[in-house]
Amino acid sequence: MNRWDQLDDIISKVEKTLVVFLLSLMILVAFLQIVLRNLFATGLSWGDVLVRYLVLWVGFIGATLATKEGKHITIEVFSRWVSGRGEIYLNAIAHLCSLCICSLLTYAAIKFINFEFQMKSTTFLGIPAWIFEFIIPLTFGLMTLRFALRFFKEIAKIMTPNSDPKLDKKL
Amino acid sequence: MILLLIVILTIILMLIGAPIFVVISGLALYLFCSSQIDLSAVIIEMHRMATTPILVAIPLFTFAGYLLSESGAPKRLIRLSNAILGWLPGGLSVIALITCAVFTALTGATGLTIIALGGILLPAMMRGKYPELFSLGLLTTSGTLGLLFPPSLPLIVYAIVAKVRIDQLFIAGILPGILLVVLLSAFCVIRSVRADVPKTRFQPGELINAIKEAIWELPLPVVVLGGIYSGYFAVSEAAAITAVYVLLVEMVIYRDIKFRELPEIMKRSMVLVGGVLIILGAAMGLTNYLIDAEIPMRLLDFFKTNIESRFLFLVVLNLFLLAVGCTMGIFSALVVVVPLLTPIGQAYGIDPIHLGIIFLTNLEIGASLPPLGINLFISSMRFERPVLNLYVASLPFIVILLLCLAIITYLPWLSLVLLK
Repeated sequence: MNRWDQLDDIISKVEKTLVVFLLSLMILVAFLQIVLRNLFATGLSWGDVLVRYLVLWVGFIGATLATKEGKHITIEVFSRWVSGRGEIYLNAIAHLCSLCICSLLTYAAIKFINFEFQMKSTTFLGIPAWIFEFIIPLTFGLMTLRFALRFFKEIAKIMTPNSDPKLDKKL
Repeated sequence: MILLLIVILTIILMLIGAPIFVVISGLALYLFCSSQIDLSAVIIEMHRMATTPILVAIPLFTFAGYLLSESGAPKRLIRLSNAILGWLPGGLSVIALITCAVFTALTGATGLTIIALGGILLPAMMRGKYPELFSLGLLTTSGTLGLLFPPSLPLIVYAIVAKVRIDQLFIAGILPGILLVVLLSAFCVIRSVRADVPKTRFQPGELINAIKEAIWELPLPVVVLGGIYSGYFAVSEAAAITAVYVLLVEMVIYRDIKFRELPEIMKRSMVLVGGVLIILGAAMGLTNYLIDAEIPMRLLDFFKTNIESRFLFLVVLNLFLLAVGCTMGIFSALVVVVPLLTPIGQAYGIDPIHLGIIFLTNLEIGASLPPLGINLFISSMRFERPVLNLYVASLPFIVILLLCLAIITYLPWLSLVLLK
């Protein structure tokens, strides 16, 4: 369990660095385009497309980080009235379902990439589109892993006979 | 029959707290699978959504908003509005309303307002001898106030989902947004006079100092809106300019934010952006399925046979949207309900932009509405008060908000006049 958590932490550090880099690049290129357009009546032909793909990357990495931090937008009506063990059970079910659906999405995303690969679709400067789109199966895969981690944590809580508050820290 | 079961399962899954994007894409996967469409269609829709040109505005505005909220800008804003309005009876409550509205517009109405500003404003109002229940109600309902002001995230999301022009929606929201703030302020002033809240004197010197202090942030509304309004910049360009401007002002001029704090702020803002984008993407597949299955048309037929007048339709629409806003929350309601309702609204001759403003006002109020409005729970957590207490506290404010809603709904002029 601990080793998986460490791996998860390392991945999330990489993701954070990537988000910071990509967002900075996005601001830079988007602003540069405006300057070029207004002051020099020109622009980078690939700038707008690049910015759009940067949004895709930043958005999907942001979404996996949201999975890691439990910050996805949820409705959570029941858990407001259920506490203790009941809440643990509800969380376990929610994580298990999320895990299944995310693995299906990963599968669908791999199919999508495969399709793009065979179509040989390209973006700007002749770069194959699948390179940019690869982030989609990658992040869905990561989300699957993270929901699995969180599911097993809830299971571990259920397994321990009386929920020990210290356990949360240890896990 | 199976479909009904699946829908019920989906709703249960949503209620026990599975992420909205998981639930929506699960439903989409099932529907595509059952009509023998390849599963990768869900991803194609997501990809198409995420690379829409206009979407660039979301990360840029959100980042700028988070940066501002982490800087000294809220404090400068409170000081400035205190200098301008502090002499009014109930001045502090009006200041609280305005600050919350500006803050919400910048950070995207995701509950951040109550958490970030509540801690400053509630003690200040208690010191200012405002009644406790009144202060709690005010801060709770202000949690989503300002949602109609650009560049709030729900406005952008609505424009994308309903396929209306963002710049028009930005401009349409201004007067209705001001109406909400003005009517609530009037109520606050009346309540404060009755509760005999002590006043402070107007000091011209303080006003000048406060303006001097905030001089670099004051042009921001012009940066955001001016370029769009004059048609000189597209919305996504305005977003890029805003991000660069805020970066320069807060990091180079005010130096409120240190360079090493920047990565954390970037990450936190992008976690929110990711959460919203992935819901949008997931909903795209579902929406297209529903449109192919002609669900909106069937809904429209149902409405047309049962409700004749536009007046009645708007009443039903408002009640429905309040319920949706209260239970589903703003973003899930936007992506799920908007595509279904916009064709119906148009069939009743409601301007799409006006419909958007009605929609967002409802969701804004719904977020404070008992029993499930999210603001009530965030407040309960932040101020450590029982939720029941907050139901009572927010009631008078909700009455005022509902009055505003009626005006906004039946006076399209208010939303559309600036567009002409």
